Amino acid sequence: MEILRNLWRRKLRTILTISGIVMGIFALTTMGSMAEHFNYLLQGGVTYYGKSVQVGDANGGAFSGGYMSASTLAEVRQVEGVAAAFPSVGVVAKPGSTNVVTFGIPDYITNYSPGSDQYSAFKLSLADGRWVTDASRYEVVLGSSFAAEFHKQVGDAIYLPVRPSDAPPGFINHRFTVVGVLNRTLTAPDSSAMVSTHDAQTLQGESLPVALRGKVDTYSLISGIVAYGKPGVDLDALAGRINAEVPSVKAAKPSTLVETFKSGGAVFTFITTAAALLALLIGGLSVVNTMIMSVTERVREIGLKKALGAKTGNILTEFLAEAALIGLIGGVIGFLLGVALTVALNAGDPTGGLFLVTPRLALLSLGFAIALGAGAGLLPAIRAARMDPVTALRSQ
Amino acid sequence: MPAMRLEGLTKHYGDPVHGVTALAGVDLKVDQGEFVAVVGRSGSGKTTMLDCVGLLMQPSAGRVLLDGVDAGTLNERQRAELRSHRIGFIFQEFNLLPTMTAMENILLPLRYSKGDRRAARARAEALLAEVGLADRANHRPTQLSGGEQQRIAIARSLINQPSLVLGDEPMGEVDTETSDLLLGLMRRINLESSVTFLIVTHDLELAARTDRQIRLRDGHLVSDERLAA
Ligand SMILES: Nc1ncnc2c1ncn2[C@@H]1O[C@H](COP(=O)(O)OP(=O)(O)OP(=O)(O)O)[C@@H](O)[C@H]1O
Ligand SMILES: [Mg+2]
Repeated sequence: MEILRNLWRRKLRTILTISGIVMGIFALTTMGSMAEHFNYLLQGGVTYYGKSVQVGDANGGAFSGGYMSASTLAEVRQVEGVAAAFPSVGVVAKPGSTNVVTFGIPDYITNYSPGSDQYSAFKLSLADGRWVTDASRYEVVLGSSFAAEFHKQVGDAIYLPVRPSDAPPGFINHRFTVVGVLNRTLTAPDSSAMVSTHDAQTLQGESLPVALRGKVDTYSLISGIVAYGKPGVDLDALAGRINAEVPSVKAAKPSTLVETFKSGGAVFTFITTAAALLALLIGGLSVVNTMIMSVTERVREIGLKKALGAKTGNILTEFLAEAALIGLIGGVIGFLLGVALTVALNAGDPTGGLFLVTPRLALLSLGFAIALGAGAGLLPAIRAARMDPVTALRSQ
Repeated sequence: MPAMRLEGLTKHYGDPVHGVTALAGVDLKVDQGEFVAVVGRSGSGKTTMLDCVGLLMQPSAGRVLLDGVDAGTLNERQRAELRSHRIGFIFQEFNLLPTMTAMENILLPLRYSKGDRRAARARAEALLAEVGLADRANHRPTQLSGGEQQRIAIARSLINQPSLVLGDEPMGEVDTETSDLLLGLMRRINLESSVTFLIVTHDLELAARTDRQIRLRDGHLVSDERLAA
């Protein structure tokens, strides 16, 4: 059509303008996919922690901290409104090695309580194999990233915890058999290894400083409790009741935990917004410039069209469509380049990568590109549309 | 009622003291179906008059009435409507869009008005044939000679089946033979459909072959002769 021909007529300029948009949308897509990945992580946290009550040792924090007696479990189960409560026992999977990538959740080994799934809002499913049971010994179900990172599948053996290069003296690990691998959840369980509560307690005992080992009975200790409320029970209130009735523990209000997760998302929303602003600046300025030149070059053409009956709105639409098309082409290319980069980077990362391109990100990128083009073309288009036909027709 | 009527049509360019008076009170009545030649020296105000009649320009004073409607009472949008439905234009200089083919250029006036596209295309093909360029439908203006471009412009001025055609030297760049052919074409349409023509020309011989010849000098209408056909 005419628009394409007009763009084609000034190939170099069109290419440069489109490149501006491409760069902007490319930045938006890559940064956005990083933010989307993080949002999924957070969403998992919101789902899980919003529908359960995390109970820890009275002296520890919500997520980490001390140990409590396994008998506390029975006390928590007695609290009015508790439908079920399960022990949680966990140790880090790669002791000593610090995870420098802040996005990632460090690999960890946790206990799996059969039956907890029916209460949890966050459903786990197996990609392969079977679950561990309470009777399992030295059997493990791996999260998807965990399995990918160590190239393990059902039937393979894995030594847990993984021996770090700077292993302290007295470091112990055991040979586990992989009996199952989880489906990808895009959040915490991906980087976990699940063993029976008994095995988790064994590892817990061995993770204690050498001096303490054997002095405590690891099988009577757990690191926390996950409690689920009966239908209709307000979980914040339930946390309050647990705190009141079981003084040795501290139950966190789910709403507080959810808030923590949500505020974490703000940083990434900021990053995406910043990338979008960058796109706006680079792409927008190049479109403004091109459209101004385009209008200037075509003054006589505009004059002729108006003389022949084109209304202000017709001319406005033609120039806006041209600007929007520049935006769309740049947006599609920039988005595809962004996707290509994230796919390539993700492929090189055994844990599945940092980037997640979602349909809504695709819509956002393309919509933004079109709006950017049209928005930047608006002023030049208005100038074109308002021209006086005679003056325009007679100009040189 | 005259198809077109000018009453004291006046146009100043620039400020009143140092500006130019291109038209100084022109009175004129043209009936439907008349074929009028406008002559006069360069700078006498011919193009300015056509621009006012074609509703492209607001006069400084005086009135333009088309079929009794005072153009001064219309807003910009209504003037655009009227141009696209009632008036055919052939401009003195820039007529064809370089990015469009001959066919697309001819169809351009219809782009901004509703209508049957298929019928329009058939009419455009017929007009192309009438100006003798049936085989050039897909050529760009740069691939056509000056005279051929002029012929395309004439075809375009007729595509919207206007009741008034304003031609600013439509035969400016063509040889005598072609100019005869084009005049013949316009004459035929003028007679068949009683379309009113207002044609600026420098060619007095050509002007002598119309119904009526008016002469402008320094913005004044100095003569108005009806010619025996
Ligand atoms: N935009 C303008 N600003 C100032 N003066 C103008 C403008 N347009 C035309 N004029 C002046 O108005 C007068 C009439 O111009 P017009 O174009 O109507 O003449 P014309 O008869 O069509 O001449 P030509 O035969 O050369 O086309 C001229 O003196 C011209 O210089
Ligand atoms: Mg002129």
